[in-house]
Amino acid sequence: MADFIKNTKKFFAKVKQSIKNFFWNIRRILNNGKRRIGKFLDKHNLNFASKFPGWAKALVYLSPALIVLSIFTFWPIINSFALVVYENYNMTSNTITGYTLFGNFITVITDESFIVPASHTGSSAVINTLIIVFISVPISVLLALFISAALNSIKPLKSFFQTIFFLPYVTNTIAIGLVFAYMFKTDGGLINQLLSFVGVDTAGLSWVESGAVYWRSMFVLIFYSIWASLAFKIMVFLTSIQGIDKQYYQAAAIDATPKGRIFTKITVPLISPMIFYILVTSVIGAFKIYNSIVALFGVTGAPSGVDYNLQSIVMYIYQFIDGSNAGSLSVAAAGSLILFAIILVLTLVQMQVSKKRVHY
Amino acid sequence: MDKKLFKKSNKIEKITFIFDFIAIAIYISLFLILFGMLELPEIVDGSMNLDILQFMEPTYYFLNATLDKLEMNTIISLVILFTLVSLPLLLINIKKVRTRTIYEIDSYTASSKFVQAVINLLSLNVVSAGLRIYNMFVLVKFVKGYSAKEFFKSIFPAVKAYFKKIFKKKKVEDLGDLDEYSVSIKQSIRRQNTSFIIRILFTYLFLITVAIVIIVPFYWMVLTSLKDFSGATLANPKLYISISQMNWVNYKVVLTALEFGLYIKNTVIVALFSTGGTIITTVLAAYAFARIEFKGREVLFSILIMTMMIPGELYIITNFITVSKNGFGWVGMATGENNYFIAMIIPFVTSISYIFFLRQSFKQIPESLYKAARVDGCSDFKFLTRVMVPIASPTIFTITILNVFSSWNAYIWPRIITGVGGQEGQKYWLISNALRDTAFVQDNGRVMYNLQIAASALVTVPLLVVFFLFRKYIMNGIGRSGTKG
Repeated sequence: MADFIKNTKKFFAKVKQSIKNFFWNIRRILNNGKRRIGKFLDKHNLNFASKFPGWAKALVYLSPALIVLSIFTFWPIINSFALVVYENYNMTSNTITGYTLFGNFITVITDESFIVPASHTGSSAVINTLIIVFISVPISVLLALFISAALNSIKPLKSFFQTIFFLPYVTNTIAIGLVFAYMFKTDGGLINQLLSFVGVDTAGLSWVESGAVYWRSMFVLIFYSIWASLAFKIMVFLTSIQGIDKQYYQAAAIDATPKGRIFTKITVPLISPMIFYILVTSVIGAFKIYNSIVALFGVTGAPSGVDYNLQSIVMYIYQFIDGSNAGSLSVAAAGSLILFAIILVLTLVQMQVSKKRVHY
Repeated sequence: MDKKLFKKSNKIEKITFIFDFIAIAIYISLFLILFGMLELPEIVDGSMNLDILQFMEPTYYFLNATLDKLEMNTIISLVILFTLVSLPLLLINIKKVRTRTIYEIDSYTASSKFVQAVINLLSLNVVSAGLRIYNMFVLVKFVKGYSAKEFFKSIFPAVKAYFKKIFKKKKVEDLGDLDEYSVSIKQSIRRQNTSFIIRILFTYLFLITVAIVIIVPFYWMVLTSLKDFSGATLANPKLYISISQMNWVNYKVVLTALEFGLYIKNTVIVALFSTGGTIITTVLAAYAFARIEFKGREVLFSILIMTMMIPGELYIITNFITVSKNGFGWVGMATGENNYFIAMIIPFVTSISYIFFLRQSFKQIPESLYKAARVDGCSDFKFLTRVMVPIASPTIFTITILNVFSSWNAYIWPRIITGVGGQEGQKYWLISNALRDTAFVQDNGRVMYNLQIAASALVTVPLLVVFFLFRKYIMNGIGRSGTKG
């Protein structure tokens, strides 16, 4: 028996050794080939690897990312400029009828319900988006600032509150949007129930269903977008507030500075680069609002049976991407280029302002 | 300090841990068995009549006992509650058993053992509770030197002394002896203390208000998902639900009849593959940008950074053309020739912002480490996998989590991709699409709100579970990613 085990062990060791040898041989052959190719290239002055040191190695590491990026990121950028000048581009047959320089842009800009409020809906994508941006962003940034300052000033239960405030970040936008729509239901919604506890007459007070007034629907949308976007801002503000040197606060405490003044004169100025960064990114994010509208009001962006809609710019763009109509993709490309222009301007403003010092 | 006692306590801890684990295994298997027994309406003409769901009065036979609907609901709810209570306990103890040292033990450890034992009792896990109590006595002996008997004897005087301390009247300070200056200082201290307390009070009040606003949708979601149809559409909805009224069958309907099991499977497939791809490509690219010197590195990197500014909507238009008939032909072909998964995964197997994020943490690894490794004959790739990746693993982990979350949230791209497929495309919906586009409307025009919200809860709960498991990593990662960007 002992012999048998010994033999088996020997056998496996042999197998292992031969496998190892096999791979070493392959490696040796490959290396020989590599050396030979290198010599050959050097001889004919073709060795790019020595001309551009590092490129060969870098390409090996970069190629997986670069291949995917060039197909799905760089090509779309080039192609969308091409799409914009096509006339009646048909996706299925891949044909066009001609070229136009600004035709698609003009189609978008003069389109009812992009900038100009449409006669039958009384609202337009740009106006809706601007309302969302200019109301939700300032409120959410200010609220996040206050909450993170409050969080920073307490010790017990701090991480508990932090966890709770972070919850909206880890949820599915559509799922919670549906819950919000359900909470704002006319009959049997939680909000109407709470309002009637306070004494408001809630009969027929609808928010997201037929019979809702524009501003009421807008309120729900803004409320939801603030609710959903608060988590990230609080986290970022809290991290940067905790990074402030404690000496400032100690100096202020010695002078018995009131808390309000500490907040406005120390905390806010010292994290002002962060505030500004968050402000710009959340403005950009609010310009691209889409999922929350879909979750609350469906793909059309309007509560059923009302004469307005709450389309955002992105929603306006997406309604053209089904590829069924000739030329619709060009219009979508024009719309997204306009959106890109808006975002570009905002980013440039951010870069300019943050170059001039934002903080003290 | 008696080392033997410490070792004994650790041994008991390990045994308790095994029993905890067995208990949770029992709870979960019990839940699965009972959940599998729940009765659904019969399928008529290929569709299920969900209207009769709440009027069904099935009886179940389990372990020789006959259970009606309410009893079944009660048992399932209790099993779930037990699991919810004991699972965190297990997770906390995993960490502690592995890292506890002899210096960390104090009287609080003993008292926390007692609290845990009470929690064990609440979840009917008597064995673990008994072991924990025993462990508590061992710890008390270890810390204080009491035996169990002496411990009980010492409780009474301690409690008595505690109450005495509370009820002892505070001595009224006599201000008469002090001069005017001391009195004014004393008063101003008192004033400051009151204002401090008021401020703390208002801070907490503010935070609690916000916390309630944040929590309410989650609470309402779980609550509604357990109601029956008429409960979910009442004009005056109930704000709570009793254990016997919880309709766990809602989840079963959503998972099986409304095919959310399939959609969750789709989403998990897409999330796994796209995350795996993202990690591989971004780690390699970030390494190239952080360590390898080549001409034009900064130019290439700044081009990548610049493209981050471009809104994703711009890409989607052309990508749609790319993946459809005139491009790669992954979608938009005849039925049976489409590769929806590939079309949903491949465009998202890399991300510029993650490359940026990873490069930052790679750059913090000192150059000397690289040179030392090179001297020892370490190749670049080996250095990346053996040194860089382990050091940067928190960042990589954060990226993994963020990517899984974003796949879980993906809506528009899957919608466009599966939208052109019609009936066939529906089988490839991801959960967000399914949530929005599944018809929760019955033939008679009723919207099954309870089922819709149950589906939402089903989608949200896995995310929350992942969040609570890796809370620290995720929250730190988000904070840092914001600070750096």
